[in-house]
Amino acid sequence: MGEAYIAGVAMTDIGWHEDDPHDMGARVCAEALRDAGLLPAQVDGLISTPHGYMADTRKMIAQRMADYLGITCGLMLDVDSGGNSTSVAVHIARDRIREGKISSCLVFAAQREAPPNRIKEDIVGHFHLIKAANSLYDSYQAAYGLISPLPFYAMAVQRYMNLHSIPPEDIAGVAALLRAHALKHPQAAYKEPLTVEEVLASSFVSPPIRRLECSEMHDGAAAVVMVGEELARGNPRAVRIAGMAEAHDPTSFAPYRGEISRFPCVGRAARAALEESGYALTDIDVAEVYGAFAGMEPMMYEELGFFAPGKAPEAVREGRTTHGGEVLLNPSGGRLSLGHPAYVTPLLEFIEIVRQLRGEAGGRQRPGAAVGLVHTEQGFINGSIVAVLDKGR
Amino acid sequence: MDTKPYIQDRAAREFFSLLERGEFRTTRCRSCGEAHYPPRVVCPACLGEEMEWVDLPREGTLLAFTQQRDAVRCRRPEVLGLVELEGIGNVFTRIDAPLEELRIGMRVAFSTWTSSDGVALHQFRPPRA
Repeated sequence: MGEAYIAGVAMTDIGWHEDDPHDMGARVCAEALRDAGLLPAQVDGLISTPHGYMADTRKMIAQRMADYLGITCGLMLDVDSGGNSTSVAVHIARDRIREGKISSCLVFAAQREAPPNRIKEDIVGHFHLIKAANSLYDSYQAAYGLISPLPFYAMAVQRYMNLHSIPPEDIAGVAALLRAHALKHPQAAYKEPLTVEEVLASSFVSPPIRRLECSEMHDGAAAVVMVGEELARGNPRAVRIAGMAEAHDPTSFAPYRGEISRFPCVGRAARAALEESGYALTDIDVAEVYGAFAGMEPMMYEELGFFAPGKAPEAVREGRTTHGGEVLLNPSGGRLSLGHPAYVTPLLEFIEIVRQLRGEAGGRQRPGAAVGLVHTEQGFINGSIVAVLDKGR
Repeated sequence: MDTKPYIQDRAAREFFSLLERGEFRTTRCRSCGEAHYPPRVVCPACLGEEMEWVDLPREGTLLAFTQQRDAVRCRRPEVLGLVELEGIGNVFTRIDAPLEELRIGMRVAFSTWTSSDGVALHQFRPPRA
């Protein structure tokens, strides 16, 4: 088996966009190819995702982009696996490249959504969006009117806080720290500082989760260019994916059996990815972790194995997950403060780690970062993908 | 036009129509005897397709609870919870009590409640003091 690398990256600012997602996608594809030093004629695979969960029903996104950019390729796919989608894309592209079936692959996603949080002043006029949001859940969950998985996350956070006696200040502190990280990211959705007191003063949306402990569903686009050994040769900015693994639990949103505050797929994916990479968790300098709510962040850190159960909140409070700490977690600002266009999110995580390992992360650079980790999830962390990246040749 | 699109599969339609009569039931496989929640038309244990409907326990333990501010068809805010039925698993349900009266681990009992579009749903409530 050969190696697979990320040789080019690009992302838009994260926030609210008026551009059509096709245009956002075309621009990030072009920028990522320029960053990799490749032309469309050298692209051998093309993978994308839908443009959103509710508003945009376009299909066959990759095919349209192949036509638009003039790409003749040996792999084409639109992936729709919720928040994991672009991570699945990177995983498939990596395997095909390592098998020698393709020499390169362009993975992109562009999301422009009209979610309930943008249209709540006229919810009746957007009934089709509400129905689409409700249709994510099975009959026994959807019947209770869900339009977001927030109540499931709230119950997970409630049990986690209860089991480990975590004070609300420690969960609010995670949101404040992620905002501090995002202030060093010029493309992040949020530009204003956030204090623990402000988080605790925000209203409950689904107790114990408060408004400022939630990620918002943003717009944005991102692309990564993946290449094999031949195209990576002589490119010192190419970052290797040294290990990658995917794991799923037999659940769809809230588990009908077992503990709602535990997510076994995360640890299984992390252990398998680390084993393939040859690195230990203690080798990781910097990681991007998929936590959609402040309370989920420490739970994910623990499921990945960075901290013992119940110990991540105090690690965050003690500065062990920020600049100068033992491992830099979510330097981008994470889902809460970089912003969260879910189909795009895994690419944003890969891009942050690529920039860190290239030494191109500007004011949020971890000095000497050599090994990084990306964690992504789908649904209610019903499935997880973990990748370990390095500068190896 | 299907006015209740969220009740999708065959077993779910039966489950919710049983609830209209106050019956709280699920499927059990006639081949291997495995009971499932939610109900199914195929058995994940033995892959059998012959099912019978059996009563679910009408009391359980409250594992977690919250309130949803934004929702369709339900009162806002609506108290929701996860109730463990012994030997069956977790039931996601409405909780018929104010949030402040609830605590993790309390016993709760089944009843039914009708949503704004006329569908009978299960709910659980703690014993009245």
